[in-house]
Amino acid sequence: MTSKQIITPEIHSLIDPVISNLKRHQLIEDKDVALTIAKLLMKVISVSKWSNPQELIEIIRKVGLIIHKSYPRKIIPGNIVRRVLFIIREETIEEEDNINSNFPMMSSMFSLLTTNKRKEDQIQVAKPKEKTSDLRSIIAQGIRELIDEISNVNEGIENMIADLIHDNEVLLTPTPNSDSVLHFLIKAKTKRNFTVLVTENYPNDIEKSHYFVKKLAEHKIETILIPDSTSYAVMSRVGKVIIGTNAVFANGGCLSNSGVSQVVECAKEHKTPVFAVAGLYKLSPLYPFTKDDLIEVGNSGKVLNYDDYKLIENVQVVTNTLEDYIPPDLIDIFITNIGGFASTFIYRIVLDNYKVEDNKLD
Amino acid sequence: MSQEQSKLSSKELKELKKKEKAARRQAQKEASGITPEQQQKNLEQKLQETKKTSQTPTNLKKQLNQTLIKNEKKVPHLFGHLETREQRNASSPTISNLVHPSILTLTLKYSNYKIVGSNSRLKNMLLAFKQVIEDYKTPESTTLSRHLTNHLSHQIEYLKTGRPLSVSMGNAIRWLKQEISHISIDINELKAKEILCSKIDDFVKEKIELSDRLIVENASKHISNGSTILTYGHSQVLEELFKYCVLEQDKTFNLIIVDSRPLFEGKKLFRNLVDSDVTNSIRIQYALLNSLNSTLLEDVDVVFLGAHAMLSNGRLYSRVGTALIAMMSHTRNIPVLTCCESIKFSDKVQLDSVTTNELADSEDLINNFNIPPQKKSFALEQFIKQEKGEESINDSPLANWKDLPNLNILNILYDLTPPEYIKKVVTELGSLPPSSVPVILREYKNT
Repeated sequence: MTSKQIITPEIHSLIDPVISNLKRHQLIEDKDVALTIAKLLMKVISVSKWSNPQELIEIIRKVGLIIHKSYPRKIIPGNIVRRVLFIIREETIEEEDNINSNFPMMSSMFSLLTTNKRKEDQIQVAKPKEKTSDLRSIIAQGIRELIDEISNVNEGIENMIADLIHDNEVLLTPTPNSDSVLHFLIKAKTKRNFTVLVTENYPNDIEKSHYFVKKLAEHKIETILIPDSTSYAVMSRVGKVIIGTNAVFANGGCLSNSGVSQVVECAKEHKTPVFAVAGLYKLSPLYPFTKDDLIEVGNSGKVLNYDDYKLIENVQVVTNTLEDYIPPDLIDIFITNIGGFASTFIYRIVLDNYKVEDNKLD
Repeated sequence: MSQEQSKLSSKELKELKKKEKAARRQAQKEASGITPEQQQKNLEQKLQETKKTSQTPTNLKKQLNQTLIKNEKKVPHLFGHLETREQRNASSPTISNLVHPSILTLTLKYSNYKIVGSNSRLKNMLLAFKQVIEDYKTPESTTLSRHLTNHLSHQIEYLKTGRPLSVSMGNAIRWLKQEISHISIDINELKAKEILCSKIDDFVKEKIELSDRLIVENASKHISNGSTILTYGHSQVLEELFKYCVLEQDKTFNLIIVDSRPLFEGKKLFRNLVDSDVTNSIRIQYALLNSLNSTLLEDVDVVFLGAHAMLSNGRLYSRVGTALIAMMSHTRNIPVLTCCESIKFSDKVQLDSVTTNELADSEDLINNFNIPPQKKSFALEQFIKQEKGEESINDSPLANWKDLPNLNILNILYDLTPPEYIKKVVTELGSLPPSSVPVILREYKNT
């Protein structure tokens, strides 16, 4: 089957607005992106025509590929697509298990040697058509749970506060755009007294950082706004560094705002513990092999204003990186909505939530 | 009994008198039984009286203190020991009749960052002092060597209200005062002033201009054709170094200028390089501190850093952000070099950036995002505040940040780089490791 046949016009009409929103960077908040994609997939599943789960998986994979290509540097849409694929596959395995109970587990090494082809055949043989509507509702239920998980991600993270912050501690956060960090700190205030240092993150998040510190100060948290350059100077006074993340990879490394990696390196130099806050949906089964490809570059006019013609004429390169890759050894603990994990353990959590065969969508 | 009293030191006597006076006043007040309304009236009367009275130094000081009204001290508790601009202004002796006009202008230029950088601050200060000395007249019944130091101290006090003295300025002032005290009383005034002025000229030439020349020649060995150099902010010596490499040694190389808020001194370096027409030979890349991680991924051969001071424990005290760059270069095995004239060496020791630092205005971080702070003089600011009242023009979320008791904005100017990050300190006395700073200081003192 070619992609044209799989992706019907109805599906296209569903995907297109989401894709253009992504391309135009109108969906900025990670949580919103995740929710939008999950809801989109739910609609796609209900609209599309399929007679067996394998066809559905094919459709979702194609949709995932289209979304991925529209914004290749955004990791979260791919995560959600793979999570949905995981849900579908889990359901089909159960069905399979009912029919063919001695079928080997997918996650074992043994499955590496078998081909998917045979499984497909088996499923096709095994599936009577009436079951699809049943499966449809089961999958929809699974996605609804996923949506719930994403929307309540902050509550899950907040539960760990009391174990992590002691009274009168000085914290530093270099990610003033992170909603999770904001919720985390506000919630922590109910149990502890502490001081938060917030970096400005100039030029990309400076306004957000101002809103961030204002919010914190309004919640009676002792807040200090510092320029990015000051992080080394104050690090000797900082008890813990808390960072928000854009995506977490299977090796335990993560993507965060530009400027975070130097703060984290600085913390390492001072032996200050670093916490990364990440919802489960930010965990990706991918490995960051080509770091340069991961990092998105933004408007260089923010770095060197175009008005400044004298400088612009003479400069060769101006870069405004939006993200930084942070290697796993610089992060002590990841705080997710299902608990805290060392960065070396992330690969296990990833295996629990994704199927290996979906790592590549094309 | 009377003998015992006479034994009391003058200080104790003063205190005793003060106490007596206070007690007397208290008694008077209680006796007259002033009502609050009367008090108000009295206050108004007093205020009018003060307006009428002539502008003696002490009165001026009082007035200034009154205009301050409330001391809005907004410094985070960790940094409470650092002096704010308001405090500096409040503690300053506003003896403007004693302060030379050249010092007044210089102070203003310091405080609005028209003159930044240790070197240019030092040079301009010495030039201003030259004018002060030229216009100086020894009052009768004193000698120049005694009174001039005192006169200069007043100028320096005022100068400090703009920004605290830099290490090199402190060193230079110490030297100048010593020179003044060396002048014998027998020399006539005109001659003495001439001697001092020529000494200042020599000092500038020797300690800044020739030193820089030597440093530049020394450091230029590290820049080879086609290499990639990274630098942070603006440093007078480094600017000369880059120009020298192009204009006199005909080298071409890549230069990465890293910059940071709020002063954007990197742009100043960039602009000066463009003005001196060397950008054909230097490929310039401009980056902000935040993208340092990806900038450093490109192969940087050597990092050149400017210095504000070298402390005697080998630490480099420089523009905030320097330590961050030195640290990251160190972990990536990129050699870090710093160029520093020996006038910037200090016998102070310091272990972290928080204990001693210069606190700049917090407002600089809020009001303008993309341009260096454009400061008005303190008096003008006060005037604008009075005229405009409470309405504020800017609509940024932190426009009224001072109303939030829990919010602080920290704007410090320097940080401290540990010696292990620095491979080499290039001075006019030769290149040395940071651990040799105290050695140089000792030699310097002995001569």
